[in-house]
Amino acid sequence: MKVLVTTRSGRELIDGGLVLDSSATVADLQEAIHKRIKKYYPSRQRLTLPLQPGSKEKPVVLQYKKSLKEYTTGNPNSDTITVVFKDLGPQVSYRTLFFFEYLGPLILYPLFYYLPVYQYFGYKLEKRVIHPVQTIAMYYWCFHYFKRIMETFFIHRFSHATSPLSNVFRNCAYYWSFGCYIAYYVNHPLYTPVNDLQVKIGLGFGLIMQISNLYCHVILRNLRSPSGNGGYQIPRGFLFNIVTCANYTTEIYQWLGFNVATQTVAGYVFLIVAASIMTNWALAKHRRLRRLFDGKEGRPKYPRRWVILPPFL
Amino acid sequence: MAGVLSLLRRFYLIAYNWIVFAGWFQVLFLALKTLKESGHEQVYSNIEKPLLLAQSAAFLEILHGVVGLVRSPISATLPQISSRLYVVWGILYSFPEVQTHPIVSSLVISWSITEIIRYSFFGTKEAFGSTPYWLLWLRYSTFLVLYPTGISSEIAMIYNALPYMKESEKYSIRMPNKWNFSFDYFYFAFVVFAIYLPGIPHLYGYMLAQRKKTLSKSKKA
Repeated sequence: MKVLVTTRSGRELIDGGLVLDSSATVADLQEAIHKRIKKYYPSRQRLTLPLQPGSKEKPVVLQYKKSLKEYTTGNPNSDTITVVFKDLGPQVSYRTLFFFEYLGPLILYPLFYYLPVYQYFGYKLEKRVIHPVQTIAMYYWCFHYFKRIMETFFIHRFSHATSPLSNVFRNCAYYWSFGCYIAYYVNHPLYTPVNDLQVKIGLGFGLIMQISNLYCHVILRNLRSPSGNGGYQIPRGFLFNIVTCANYTTEIYQWLGFNVATQTVAGYVFLIVAASIMTNWALAKHRRLRRLFDGKEGRPKYPRRWVILPPFL
Repeated sequence: MAGVLSLLRRFYLIAYNWIVFAGWFQVLFLALKTLKESGHEQVYSNIEKPLLLAQSAAFLEILHGVVGLVRSPISATLPQISSRLYVVWGILYSFPEVQTHPIVSSLVISWSITEIIRYSFFGTKEAFGSTPYWLLWLRYSTFLVLYPTGISSEIAMIYNALPYMKESEKYSIRMPNKWNFSFDYFYFAFVVFAIYLPGIPHLYGYMLAQRKKTLSKSKKA
């Protein structure tokens, strides 16, 4: 079968096209393109079917698992197919993205605790008294990001999807600067602690939420097949019986615990921003699951559940 | 019912645009009169009231976008209007030391001419459904000069106020406090610069594109 590969402006990407086996899949085509043009590895490629000129519809994106034959629907006997190529730019795996996101806060926060950074902000350090809550909060914070990195490598199962390299810079800017912003206040020489009971309640509750969060991630891992392409399933068990995105719920509550114990405006600002981002993701996931499991034609019906923050949403 | 509502909306927008127009007209008139009769030191004190009123009225434009009274998205109006409110209330009003600076004149003249044209453009459009070509041309051409003069005056005014922000510690919150929070208005001004500066070429380019689109379209028509 002959495949013509054009760019979005209509120019031929590979002169004369490619000749592939008639049983070839989209993945085979991507490999063939990669072989001809080294820098376009498969995850960098987005292949679509050509649109009629002037059409406002969204183009059909070729799925890498499917056979190329499935896309010659207009004319099943045709032995030639034209696909439109788009370069998505450099890609990284989600594992790499997550690792760098979490590494920043893990390293930067303790710098504020251990190193004399505040003298550069004009404070005299002889007067600095380290409150017990500042020490415990530092361990709590580091445990949290250490846990996230460990989960990234040993628990999460990622699909084949990759992320553009530019997202690494954007996400790192978000995590790293918020990490510094919170660390600055919690480790400040003029920090005012709350009473002991409040610290204990906050961090105790937060720790329980962190452990619950770990358990949620284990449940989510078991929903996905090891190959990472098992499709969507209804999450069940533990808190998932009540909330669709119990993993976000526990994450939000563990930050709430940290903030109750440390009481900084910076921490609460981060909590609000993080909670609203996760709420958007949760709403999207909830909608997707409701649509997929609509209870029709033998498909199971998605049970009634909270989305992310019971008893509000 | 829908007819009454749309009539009401139209009536309100006509009134809004022409009232704010009158405010900016007064600003320009008083500024020029003061420059001619006494000098730039008195400009601010003579225009303060109409300037604060006319610029603060722009806040309603954000609301118009939110409730769907006008089509312009708040993502476009919010940054423009909030930066103006920052300069008017956060700089000019808050630091009397900078009110006598000569840049105040170039600032308010750039602003008021722009706004006089803009509000009369919208006011005419709401009232008659269309605008004469010369007004359209002015609306999409004066920015070529007035945007650079306006924005550089804004930045100069923030810059002029910096030493007084640092000295007075106005609007600043210091540690220690129960909520472990601090805010430094002086450093906040640098954050404002950091947001302003990349936005300038972006906005100018956007307006150039708008100019090309609008003026070429109306010529054909």
